Amino acid sequence: MAGGLIVLLAVSALAVRLVQLQVGQHGRLAAMGVETRVHRLVLEADRGVVYDRHGLQLAGNAPAWALRVLPAALPADAVRRQAELAEVARVSGVAEPTLGALLAKAPDLYLPVTVKTGLTAEQAQAISERLPELTGFELDRTPVRTYADWPDFGHVLGYTNRLNAEEYARLKTLGYLPDETAGKAGVEAGLESLLRGRNGWADLETSAAGLAVRTVAQDPASPGDSVYLSIDAALQQAVGQYLRDALKSAGVRAGAAIVVDPRDGELLALVSAPSYDPNQFTAGISSAAYQRLLQDPSKPLYDRALAGLYPPGSTFKMITAAAGLQEGRIAADSVLPCPASIAYGGWTYRNWAGYDMGPMNLEKAIAVSCDTFFYRVADSVGDMALARYARAFGYGTAPTIEIPGAQAGLVPDEDWQAAQCQASGAPGCRWNPGETLTMGIGQSALLTSPLIQAMYVSAVANGGTLLQPTVVSQVRAPGGQVINSAHAAPVGAVPISPANLEVVREGMRQCLQAPYGTGFLFRNDRFQYDGGCKTGSAQFGGSGTDLPLHAWFTFFSPYANPEIAIVVLVEGGGEGHDTAEPVAVKIADYYYSHRAQIRAA
Amino acid sequence: MPRRAASPRGAGGGWRGARRLDLAQALIVAALLVLGLMTLFSTSRPAFVSQLTGVALGLPLFAAAAAFDYRRLQPAAPYLYGLALLLLLAVEVAGHVAYGAQRWVRIAGIQVEPSEVAKLLVLVALAAFLARRETVGRREVLLLAGLGLPPTLLVLFQPDLGTAIVFASLLLGLLFLAGAPRLVLAGVLAGLALAAPLLPHLLHGYQRRRLQIFLDPTQDPLGAGYNLIQARIAVGSGGILGQGWLHGLQGQLGYVPERTSDFVFAVYAEEFGLLGGLLLIGLFTVLVYRLARAAAVAPDRFGFLLCAGAAVIVFTQVVQNIGMNVGLTPIAGIPLPLISHGRSALLSDLVLLGLAQSVVLRRPLVSERAAARVALTESGTIRLPV
Repeated sequence: MAGGLIVLLAVSALAVRLVQLQVGQHGRLAAMGVETRVHRLVLEADRGVVYDRHGLQLAGNAPAWALRVLPAALPADAVRRQAELAEVARVSGVAEPTLGALLAKAPDLYLPVTVKTGLTAEQAQAISERLPELTGFELDRTPVRTYADWPDFGHVLGYTNRLNAEEYARLKTLGYLPDETAGKAGVEAGLESLLRGRNGWADLETSAAGLAVRTVAQDPASPGDSVYLSIDAALQQAVGQYLRDALKSAGVRAGAAIVVDPRDGELLALVSAPSYDPNQFTAGISSAAYQRLLQDPSKPLYDRALAGLYPPGSTFKMITAAAGLQEGRIAADSVLPCPASIAYGGWTYRNWAGYDMGPMNLEKAIAVSCDTFFYRVADSVGDMALARYARAFGYGTAPTIEIPGAQAGLVPDEDWQAAQCQASGAPGCRWNPGETLTMGIGQSALLTSPLIQAMYVSAVANGGTLLQPTVVSQVRAPGGQVINSAHAAPVGAVPISPANLEVVREGMRQCLQAPYGTGFLFRNDRFQYDGGCKTGSAQFGGSGTDLPLHAWFTFFSPYANPEIAIVVLVEGGGEGHDTAEPVAVKIADYYYSHRAQIRAA
Repeated sequence: MPRRAASPRGAGGGWRGARRLDLAQALIVAALLVLGLMTLFSTSRPAFVSQLTGVALGLPLFAAAAAFDYRRLQPAAPYLYGLALLLLLAVEVAGHVAYGAQRWVRIAGIQVEPSEVAKLLVLVALAAFLARRETVGRREVLLLAGLGLPPTLLVLFQPDLGTAIVFASLLLGLLFLAGAPRLVLAGVLAGLALAAPLLPHLLHGYQRRRLQIFLDPTQDPLGAGYNLIQARIAVGSGGILGQGWLHGLQGQLGYVPERTSDFVFAVYAEEFGLLGGLLLIGLFTVLVYRLARAAAVAPDRFGFLLCAGAAVIVFTQVVQNIGMNVGLTPIAGIPLPLISHGRSALLSDLVLLGLAQSVVLRRPLVSERAAARVALTESGTIRLPV
């Protein structure tokens, strides 16, 4: 009897347990079953390709392989698992502790963990030969972003890299994956939403060994849009070459050069030197290499064309001139002296030339860049009005452009000074009227960027329209149809009458073409194109005399209907006509000798 | 059991007694074999083919064992016992390692799992020993323990915890059924209870680990706990009606570990659901009952102990195997009789069941009720299992 009872009890326990699992917990366990069996695979969209204005590829996707592992499919036996990981470490070159750490961090046993990306065909081949023994591991074709292998494109293109934890937290609502690649700088970052495309997904039923058995459902990815930059790749390379040559011969490290179409704001070349090779980021830059870039004293990661801020120096004088004319403080035919220095408020303000240049009108004053002339004009206009005109020409506002990081610079005036004084609380702090004078020649606390300068020169060149700069000429959908080729509306019209602006333009023409012009005087070659220019030699690093100079050169051409404007800056380059102008002259030469190609549709 | 006028053939008769075969037991065995083959067909074709050859070989053996007069085994018992020890020692010396344990030896080119064969041999030996004693006292208990412990320990240290559990329960069950003094039985049980805390120290690393994982499967979801979790998912996915034969995805896609042997029940339960599961448990319960009935009608004490021991073996294996599949008992590798893939186990189980038929075939020519009484009176102190 007792035996029968034991049998009945045991059998009943099994039956009750079976009911419990198959009826009571059926829903939960079946769901767990689906979860372990069906895995959602994210189909990453191909990133949009970036071309130059003629369709030359600048950033694309090269085939590459990634080694991934499905943690759940690894051998359950600890000894075999360890042996397998050791073998993977050997063939992939990823250290065993790193592998272990990757697996330990895996949030889900059924989500593949990326072990290594950017494997070349040879590396992938070597691994694939061992793959049959490495259960749970797989090789995935994941394209790697590659960039045109030329210098000087780094700052324009930028680069992509895997999201870090903080970026992921910010972007996950947009559907980004934890280790997804996204643009981090340049147009890669600025046009991320166009280039990224839309990820798809596939629900795969897999066996315990990680082999896909069938696709349950899927939504294919759509690739990103293609972007045709306004940049002319050949011109960009030439500009970069000329700039770097000039830096080398001047013995300095950094500079920037911009070529812009003053009719529509399209940038044809945008160079910041030194630059970097974006390719080193895409394969996962080593922290040592990244530290080298960060600690390089010439700051190659720093985009001087957009973010570099410098006093404009004499290149500012067109604004002082326009303000004087428009405010009625000076007429086109007013003649003022140009002494070697003037005394003001107990201080002496010098001209760049140590001698009296004689009486002159405004046009000539621009052409010869007479400081003492513009001290008087600035004084009569006043700091508040001068600042207002500076802002109308784009100063003090970061230009909107498809590359992140453009800076606003600084336009000082009494209000700004008052705010500064309040913040510092220094006794007797107030706007020194002498600052108005130096502001008139682009000094004081004025700060501008090469890009702001380019748009300012364009506005003078095109008759007063301040344009929004752009590096994009066209956006095309994956199918090839043009989505957008329109330019943004102009930022505004400068409040200068056409007649007054013409006086300023004439001053720039004389600067380039009159024998006394600073742009003519010091030029030693046969430059036969008409247009206008302005040199600048901006003091920096304090106040006083004999300070180091940043060399500026601004230029537009032709005079009648300008189609290019050029800005060249050489950091610490000395006189503008000395180091900056030759670069601009070579660029203009290149432009005119290749005009047909550059302007080809 | 049909009450049929028996032919006047006495005990020790030949094949003509086939009319009195335990038909119900034979039908259950056939049903279990079919269900097992169906499950193996669904989850692994190679295992199915191999098992099919096992069945083809095993059915004639089943019939031969039924025809064979089991009583002729009694005198051979000491030799069979010696053979069992030899086989188990052979594993220690020249065994193949699988799943971290030595369980197989190669005999004439065929892989044999000696612990499965030993199971049968030890049962015959112990039953023969006990059958010779009219009463079971302390002396007998000690002697039986002396006979039973060597094979049990040899199996335990292979290590094959599952078969060791079967041996231990066989030993205890036979003592109980042979009428050992209750005090002695209580003492043995108390001793086992005291020895239980020592178990972790006796177990091999992976066995100890399995025991810990049983207590908390999520401790190691990738390793040993994986088996438990996946088996439970498969069983639960079956629901009431099951996913249908050939449609159990967990089993088909390999998520169920050792899905042809230890965890074949999980695959079966996923495909055939609660109804199929209860059917299987019901079939095994009736099988144990039929073995108990066979014991009850046995013409002698040896036959009684043989069938009762067979019932204990089948019962222990079923409870331990299904128990670990549904997470009621710790994982200790043990096949589900007639269902799990494994030809050594299949053949020895079929011979065992055939021997039970041999006992039934040789029961005394009296009515069932009387036969039970005869069995009772013959052995005096026997308490019937049913």
